[in-house]
Amino acid sequence: MEELVQKLADLEEGDVLAMVGAEVENGTDPLEIFDACRRGMVMVGERYEAGEYFVSELMMAAAIFKEVTGILEPAMAGRTAETRGSVVVGTVEGDIHDIGKDLVVGMLQAAGFEVHDLGVDVAPAAFVAKLQETGATILSLSGLMTTSFDPMKATVDALAEAGLRPGVKVMIGGGPVTEKIQAYTGADAWGASAQAAVNLANQWMGG
Amino acid sequence: MSYQESYDLIQKAINVEPVDRVPVVYMGVAFAPRYMGMSIAEFCEDPEAALQVQLDAMDRLDEVAGGLDGANLAGGGKISVALTAIWLSHIDVPGRELPEDSLWQVREEEVMTVDDYDTIVEQGWGAFFMSYLPRVIDMAEFGQSMGWSAANQQRIQRLYREHEYVVVCDAGINVNVPFEPLCGGRSMSQFFLDLYRIPDKVEAAMDVILEETLASIAAYEGEHGIGGTWLGGWRAASALLAPKLWDRFVWPYYLELVDALVAQDIVPVLHWDQDWTRDLGRLKELPAKKCILNPDGMTDLRTFKELVGDHMAVMGDVPATLFAAGTPDDIHAYVRDLVRDVGPTGLILCPGCDAPINTKPENMEAFVEAAHEYGTLV
Repeated sequence: MEELVQKLADLEEGDVLAMVGAEVENGTDPLEIFDACRRGMVMVGERYEAGEYFVSELMMAAAIFKEVTGILEPAMAGRTAETRGSVVVGTVEGDIHDIGKDLVVGMLQAAGFEVHDLGVDVAPAAFVAKLQETGATILSLSGLMTTSFDPMKATVDALAEAGLRPGVKVMIGGGPVTEKIQAYTGADAWGASAQAAVNLANQWMGG
Repeated sequence: MSYQESYDLIQKAINVEPVDRVPVVYMGVAFAPRYMGMSIAEFCEDPEAALQVQLDAMDRLDEVAGGLDGANLAGGGKISVALTAIWLSHIDVPGRELPEDSLWQVREEEVMTVDDYDTIVEQGWGAFFMSYLPRVIDMAEFGQSMGWSAANQQRIQRLYREHEYVVVCDAGINVNVPFEPLCGGRSMSQFFLDLYRIPDKVEAAMDVILEETLASIAAYEGEHGIGGTWLGGWRAASALLAPKLWDRFVWPYYLELVDALVAQDIVPVLHWDQDWTRDLGRLKELPAKKCILNPDGMTDLRTFKELVGDHMAVMGDVPATLFAAGTPDDIHAYVRDLVRDVGPTGLILCPGCDAPINTKPENMEAFVEAAHEYGTLV
């Protein structure tokens, strides 16, 4: 399995898919294969943090991981890997951009989180409803425009009005987001990358 | 201030020669209508109103905050059409798909197919471009808008001059590195995967686009003042791409296009959004004092100064976030530090990349005031 971990970390898509297929064929426990790929994704994140990888590598890794889960799902027959926690994700109201949000979704899933993706142009009430429905303790808000700051703030305010704070931690991200905007919106943290979202979620779930 | 005074200042900045005042130019495409009380829907639908409102906003800033030397770009035309042509994407427009007074948005979806790379190679870029456009825009609107722009190009330049404003990008030629339209058409998510999965196919299409673009530059016969043109980069940024991809799919095309533009006495304006810090040292490969780096606040200009020095001028880079969420004091501090660390020579003060729609008016006014306060050297 160590070779599979390495191949995924090196983004060797063809080799990864062939190895996963072969392992399934050989009757290897799909959860073991899944765990190996997840460890490969952890290495991808570490390389990003070290400045060796960039956004393109995160996107490629997330795409390979998605293919892997597609192969493994039938073999898993309803069994699921242990999750680190539950996260609600979406691009805020008035903003239809999804690239950054999708990357966050992919990286969080690969890091072992159960992700509820609400898509783009999501109203504050929809975030509140999903958090109440799922019991998720993390909310990740995305926005690419400076006009997204107010909807981010409105969403954080809506959580407070619904009595969900401080039980739900909120992170925000997207091109123009900075520490100043975190303070403005009342979010708990901000991140400049999808990997930062993973780090924050891990931190909030206890390391 | 007179047109000639402003022109000389900007020209000296491009040449990285000493100035007695750092020039300041306007960039706030969506801010202008909001500042002047025009709906964004009207701004998007009426090319003449879109022109006039930019001049009106600049005149008001001139009056309340001190003089502007000019603008990065001239106003006028339909913004949605211009963006479609750059990104090969459908633009959602206020008053149509979006609320009346909201900002236009690029629809991020995969419209161009993998097979289209082959079509570009087989048919050529120009033919493909025209056959592709109906997928993302109404062709009657496209033709009408292009017609308006062509008919009014000289009048627009004349109007700016009458208002004593220098337009930096007045060359009247549109040039893009092949990366950006392909990325827009395929969608960033798919295009980045294409770079890993089918790199040769992508490169072949890029080479065709490059050849045709070089030919159009060679045929250029326009008249201009400063003679700038955007050679923009958005998703080709260093922070987004692995070095091996950037070295193959981005930088070689910049080298060729810059050389071709400079040979025509056109000033390439590297309008770079996102963070390009990793590759700033490569700018020394471009002809000295012939280009302008036009970043958006995310690229580290202290590193630029250290690595590139007086090889190239900078136009920028007060960040959009600061205009929208900062205070006049924040703007003053940013401009002061920018002039101290990056200028005063080789600097043209400008919002980076664009003062956003929700810029606080007092922040834009503070920007112009600060430019005069910290940029005046004698």
